[in-house]
Amino acid sequence: MTNLGQRAARRYGVWVGALAFLMLLALAAWLYELMYGLETTGMRGVISWGLYICTFAFFVKLSAGGLIVASSAEIFAIEALKPLSRLGALTAAVCITLAALSIIPDLGKPGRIMNLALHPNWRSPMIWDALVVGVYLLLALAELRLMFTKAPTPKIQRQLRVLAFVGLPAAFALHSITAWIFGLQISHTFWNTALMAPLFVVSAILSGTALISVIAWFLQKFAGAELQDSTWLKLGGLMAVSLAIDLFFVFSEYLTVAWAGVPSEMATLKMILPGGQFAVLFWLEWVIGGIAPFLLLVVPQTRLRIDLVATASLLILVGVYAFQIELTTAGMANPLIPLAPGISVGTLTPGAPVFQLVGHYVPTWVEYLIVLGLVALGAILITIGIRHLGFSELQSKMTEGREMQKAAQA
Amino acid sequence: MTKRWGIVIDQNRCIGCWTCSVACKSINNQSLGIHWNRILTSRPNESAPGIGPATPAIDVPSGKFPDVQLAYQPTSCQHCKNAPCEKVCPVGATFRREDGAVLVDFERCIGCRYCIAACPYGARSFTWGKGQYAHEFPVGYGQDYRSAGRLVFTPERPVGVAEKCTLCVERVDKGKKPMCVEACPAGARIFGDLNDPTSELSIAVEQQGGRRLLSDLGTDTNVFYLPVSRPNKVRS
Repeated sequence: MTNLGQRAARRYGVWVGALAFLMLLALAAWLYELMYGLETTGMRGVISWGLYICTFAFFVKLSAGGLIVASSAEIFAIEALKPLSRLGALTAAVCITLAALSIIPDLGKPGRIMNLALHPNWRSPMIWDALVVGVYLLLALAELRLMFTKAPTPKIQRQLRVLAFVGLPAAFALHSITAWIFGLQISHTFWNTALMAPLFVVSAILSGTALISVIAWFLQKFAGAELQDSTWLKLGGLMAVSLAIDLFFVFSEYLTVAWAGVPSEMATLKMILPGGQFAVLFWLEWVIGGIAPFLLLVVPQTRLRIDLVATASLLILVGVYAFQIELTTAGMANPLIPLAPGISVGTLTPGAPVFQLVGHYVPTWVEYLIVLGLVALGAILITIGIRHLGFSELQSKMTEGREMQKAAQA
Repeated sequence: MTKRWGIVIDQNRCIGCWTCSVACKSINNQSLGIHWNRILTSRPNESAPGIGPATPAIDVPSGKFPDVQLAYQPTSCQHCKNAPCEKVCPVGATFRREDGAVLVDFERCIGCRYCIAACPYGARSFTWGKGQYAHEFPVGYGQDYRSAGRLVFTPERPVGVAEKCTLCVERVDKGKKPMCVEACPAGARIFGDLNDPTSELSIAVEQQGGRRLLSDLGTDTNVFYLPVSRPNKVRS
């Protein structure tokens, strides 16, 4: 037993150490970026938003699942999801923190970030997004605090219920406003669709649930937690349904563009469909992160094999991230005025043209390291959260539930 | 009545010499790789062998050989009245003066590049890194310029802010024309007050069918183009 405890402690140490190392690398990359400016990234004139914005939107989506799972369990009295409500609140708080942090390396003047508070322009979707990210973080933290109270009194139960009712619309607002950062813009026809907000909400439910499933799989596999079959069935079902709706929305987008054949939008769609410059994103989104996990999750039998559910969840995360890149970068690649020579890229690289008619974007190592560091930070926060916020209670609650179920069956 | 400064560009007179672009680049000391003002031609024909939209080309004719023609569309900030860049700026660093000039406050901009993403004309640039210059010394205006206390021009832009055509407010505020208008050797540009129906600019727009870029977006721009083919090519 002691040996086992030591081994677990060593494994924990290695895990946290490796993550901390990644964070240090990211910090070094960020310092480098601060010294030389955003020139160190792959972003330029035409595609002027890249991995950071994609990652921001992705973390925003991930944070949703948490609060939506936690709130729905309460509001709709979904018993099967209740054991996950604390984990949901934890991932919501962590992911929204990461989302806020991933904007900072994207800013040309991060030192001036306080201008958001000092000189807000309320016509900008971005200022509303900053506000709703802040509110959402506070909500998630409040919910987390209440959930981890040692002895929940009826008063705390009541407060939790109120928070659940506030949390659900807040999650919808968060995703809709983030979607409107893109969806309200007339400059990129591929963005300018009323479907953007619903699409963001559904892919948030999808990816957030996928993240929770992956973490739950980790806990069950390595930390001795045990979730009921009904919980796994619920998670798998939620993902299958939201994945189907998500793909349906994206398909509607594609069809609307393709059927009308408006050149400015077709240029972007052609880049995404097989044979185009961004076709890899299509395969990641539709096959690897779309049809494959859907087939895995749509059958109730496989939904009980948690390794398969975890695999499907990972694939879903890949697909949703691919969609975010497709939307942001491919959506920006074709300027609305497609006349030669195009738009000046903003820096001079000997041998490369100064003008681009179609955007070109490949992230640099700086961007990759910073994004990796953010993911590592998230993993550390979730690990520490699970370890120190009374995970033992979570575990016993799960076991308790299972025993109660058994008793009921008997 | 307040002024509403505008520019009219006669595409029938424009010879595509890039003088306006070079004059703009030097008076505003733009670093290498940045052009606030560029001369657009046509969309490359995707079906032509070896040519696609990604092929770098300066002058691209429209039509099919041998029936081709070349027209020039000098394009910089259109100084929209309903400016997407101004609406999206989260901190109000981009602002519109009463006389119609859309400007960037270099001391307030946080470098989020939302304005660049929002501009339908691709008129904005970003200072990705420390500017590289053709000369070791700043050329052009050579000093800071403030409008209503806000820093709207500085010879070397800070790293990490958005920049674009300022309508040469330095000159306009002194009663002069913007540098692109001053420098055009073909007399293709007219600068003036759109609110004054008797100005040369207003008359040209009125009588010769001034069109605006992407006018259906409702950006309500202050830059007008007189098309190559138009019923009455006489300049008033």
